[in-house]
Amino acid sequence: MDRLEYIVEVVLENKKQARDPVGTTIQKDLLAKKGYEMVSNVRSGQYLRIYISAENEDQAKELVDKMCNELRIFNPVTQNLTILKVTKQN
Amino acid sequence: MPKVDVDGDEMDVDLTKREIKEIKVLLEREPSITEWAMFDVMHSEHCSYKSSRPKLKLFEDAEANYDYVLAGPGEDAGVIDIGDGYCLAFRIESHNHPSAIEPYHGAATGIGGIIRDILCMGVRPIALMDPLRFGTLKDNPHSQWLFKYVVKGIADYGNCTGIPTIGGEVEFDKSFESNCLVNVACIGLGTIEDFKHAPSKAYNPGDYVILMGGSTGRDGIHGVTFASRTLTEMSEADRPAVQIGDPFTKKMIIEATLEAVKTGYVRGLKDLGGGGLSCALSELTGDGGTGASIDMSKIFTREPGMNSFEIMLSESQERMAFIVKPEGLEKVLEVFRKFETPHAVIGRTDDSKVLKIYDGDIAVVNLPATALTDAPTIPREEKRPDYLNVLLAQKTPNPTMELEEIIYKLIASENICSKEWVYRQYDHEVGVRSVVKCGDADSGVLRIIGTDKYIAASVGVNSKHCFLDPYEGAKGGLVETCGNVIANGAKPMAMVNCCNFGNPEQAESFWFFSQAVKGMADFCQELRIPIVGGNVSFYNEDEVTNTLIKPAPVIMIVGIIESQENIITLPFKKAGNDILLIGETKSELGGSEYHSVIYDLEGGIPPKVNDNKIKAIWDLVAELYKEKLVKANHDVNKGGFIITIAEMCFKNKLGADLDLIECFDDSLRDDEILFSESVGRFIIETDPKDYNKILEITKKHNVDVKKIGVLISNPQIMIKSIKGKDLKLDISKMKKLYDATIPNLMET
Amino acid sequence: MSIKLAVIQFPGSNCDLDTIHVLNNVIGVEANLIWHNHFKEAEFDGCVLPGGFSFGDYLRSGIIAAHSPALDEARIMLKDGRPIIGICNGFQILTEAQFLPGALLRNDSLKFICKWVNIKVENNETAFTSKMKIGDVLAIPIAHGEGRYYTDNLKELEENNQIVFRYTTESGDITEEANPNGSMENIAGVCNLEQNCLGLMPHPERASEAIISPKGTTHGKLFFESMIEFIKRRIS
Repeated sequence: MDRLEYIVEVVLENKKQARDPVGTTIQKDLLAKKGYEMVSNVRSGQYLRIYISAENEDQAKELVDKMCNELRIFNPVTQNLTILKVTKQN
Repeated sequence: MPKVDVDGDEMDVDLTKREIKEIKVLLEREPSITEWAMFDVMHSEHCSYKSSRPKLKLFEDAEANYDYVLAGPGEDAGVIDIGDGYCLAFRIESHNHPSAIEPYHGAATGIGGIIRDILCMGVRPIALMDPLRFGTLKDNPHSQWLFKYVVKGIADYGNCTGIPTIGGEVEFDKSFESNCLVNVACIGLGTIEDFKHAPSKAYNPGDYVILMGGSTGRDGIHGVTFASRTLTEMSEADRPAVQIGDPFTKKMIIEATLEAVKTGYVRGLKDLGGGGLSCALSELTGDGGTGASIDMSKIFTREPGMNSFEIMLSESQERMAFIVKPEGLEKVLEVFRKFETPHAVIGRTDDSKVLKIYDGDIAVVNLPATALTDAPTIPREEKRPDYLNVLLAQKTPNPTMELEEIIYKLIASENICSKEWVYRQYDHEVGVRSVVKCGDADSGVLRIIGTDKYIAASVGVNSKHCFLDPYEGAKGGLVETCGNVIANGAKPMAMVNCCNFGNPEQAESFWFFSQAVKGMADFCQELRIPIVGGNVSFYNEDEVTNTLIKPAPVIMIVGIIESQENIITLPFKKAGNDILLIGETKSELGGSEYHSVIYDLEGGIPPKVNDNKIKAIWDLVAELYKEKLVKANHDVNKGGFIITIAEMCFKNKLGADLDLIECFDDSLRDDEILFSESVGRFIIETDPKDYNKILEITKKHNVDVKKIGVLISNPQIMIKSIKGKDLKLDISKMKKLYDATIPNLMET
Repeated sequence: MSIKLAVIQFPGSNCDLDTIHVLNNVIGVEANLIWHNHFKEAEFDGCVLPGGFSFGDYLRSGIIAAHSPALDEARIMLKDGRPIIGICNGFQILTEAQFLPGALLRNDSLKFICKWVNIKVENNETAFTSKMKIGDVLAIPIAHGEGRYYTDNLKELEENNQIVFRYTTESGDITEEANPNGSMENIAGVCNLEQNCLGLMPHPERASEAIISPKGTTHGKLFFESMIEFIKRRIS
């Protein structure tokens, strides 16, 4: 089967119930103080864009999930990995 | 573990059936689930020291017996009066288990915790130290990973809070592979006035109780199943096993706390650790003889829908409890508002001697304030392991390599080589107090601005020695850390210790602890060093492989140097000067680096400590310093005095011409002379014109002192015929090896 | 004529007390520690943005502090020609607030570095370098994780004489080895066009007393002495 080119976008962020000092500080000390009080919460994380060859979208997602777990690209003790989007490259 | 069930809410409690019965009798009713959790935490080994307290009773009462000790064991930190109106607070703690799981955040939150303990004494944290232990690095990616991230965690947190890390220690040994040891120490400086304003007891009824700092989340809550909760709401996946530190909030807490204390209206101060708010409050009121009435709805939480149990038992980091005089409430709240540290007035103390915590109208906690602090102790069996006899009987093989080759190997070995890779990542200059830089001294030396007084501090212990003989090894640790501050011109003032051992329920494991405690108690009593605090970390062993860590009763000594001219540093200063060895060298190669690096041998006879001889050596050194006769000083430890001399040559690229003939007992072999790790010895640099004067003084103190050579400008160490042939070592080759080991292991 | 300086304290500043100590006790000038929200430029002849980790360095070093009202006040001071110096985190804040050109990025080594370095004086006409000579090599310590200087306008900076210090060897050679963090062209400090505002990564307040300097030097004092001289000349 032909391999296609995909772009998988992932976000690594602190677990939902964990403290996120960076996000909290951005919301509290920057946004709220500069007229953006309507922002109630900010969570921070790292964004990665992974360019990968795979047979289909599902396989692309699977491979990315596998590599992130195996190689500790995210820290499973404190972080979660979310696959945001998969697009087929032209 | 027994389970308790309260209306369908279940939890495991670390209590014996007898304790459970006694609690019900004390309260004359069934405790609520929150109250059960409080007993569970406060009676745990970690909080109650139930296995260790009986042994720790051996320590002399520091507060009673030493007039300069202001706070001793049992307080949040040891505090000593250092004159001129100043006091020093210091404490050492362990964060071993979290760091083994998640080294970066584990080590960082360890630093966060120790800083808070110092803050509770009302003084500013001014220095950190970190004694660390890992498995050997070579060919061991796991140990390298732990080492890298523990150091980074300490660096990032310490640097961000602006507290310099001025010293530490790293030991590498296979036994620490699955159980790394991350101990952290903090020193605080303040005026005696400040200290008096921040007792950690709530003495007065009618004072306000304020919670300040980070928000309360579901951190640290485990072992409980709520009937009313669905699985999805309490998912483990949503919460990290190790908390995430927030050094920025910590920094704001430090400034806010210190400024609040300066208002004079703070009457009690406690940081929230194990057992969270409920236990902190019960300690404050229990120790102060008061009670309190707390309204839970005032507590600010980080997560929605937390129930009363979760709020009261949460162990979320960066939180402090303040007890404030009513007339000063506004002033204190103003300080918190200025620094924008979240805070809430959650209740008031009273004279009921009962801690009442209300969720609306229901008292979810209604305990006599002293109920939690009287946890029973458990007597433990101890048995000296038989395998020690085999180890102690091991003999040193005859060397098959040239002595030079052995020395080059030793200087490059993991336990001896330069740790610059570590301390370059620490901001050790912030605070503009660091007078002697890392590498130039055996201890960290800080000035007290506005005085001519200096603080010297050192941490460490030799775990290999402690393994073979925990009693002598613990004493040896004291000799060495005191030796470090003495070498820099200080008088040792007080000690705290961090005991890292295995499972206390195992007799052989507990024996190591018991012996080490006895060693510390005996030595400190004899040499008059007050023990002002300590921490015990048990259960450091790998259940899977059944590996016991080498016992590590880590010692921390703080001393004072009176006047800049008394500060002596490590590097050799001038060619032509004499090199003297103070102290007796014995055939004590047991547990030495020589044994482990060259022969992979753990056994042999380890060094012993003779209290009287040590006392005499310290008196001698003090007099030599008083007469200004010492130009450089380095205490002898891992690798023996040949390594000591090499280290002293490095900075100024000097060399040494040594003549060891007739300096040592005939029965000693060459390798025993060079590599013995007999404790209490110093290598000093002196002016030849003072030699006779020095001889007179040493005779007076009856100490073994030998001139073993002179300094030369050619950077080589030459040793004249010790039984075998003459030795020649190249200093720049040694320095290259010394500097390269850790970077090579960690950067490739 | 009494000179009054402000050391602006942001949430997370660490070197504020160190700077106050040097100005008050070593240099002998009146310097007040001012909480960032309380800073009013009219009361002061000059100001210092000290080192540290303002707002934890969260999001980007210096970005949140750059939005503080203190910087609005400082902007008035800047336009008025009064001296402003940003040290380490202060430098980062000044670039984010666009008082100074360029940006500070993560050290090449990706690690925090604390050590004494040498910097060479390239411009002695700024408000902080009049007591130095061009070519002087100063011993000053650094302690940072984000100190790599970067600019899109290198040519402009060079033409306008805005590069004030470069990292060098002890004898003044600009080498790769002497560059501790990978800064472009070994740049350690820059100034604005008017030369009244200076930013640098090394810490002069840690190099102003012989007792804490490894070789007993006090080159840090020159910065503050120059600042005082500049103010005196402006006033007279």
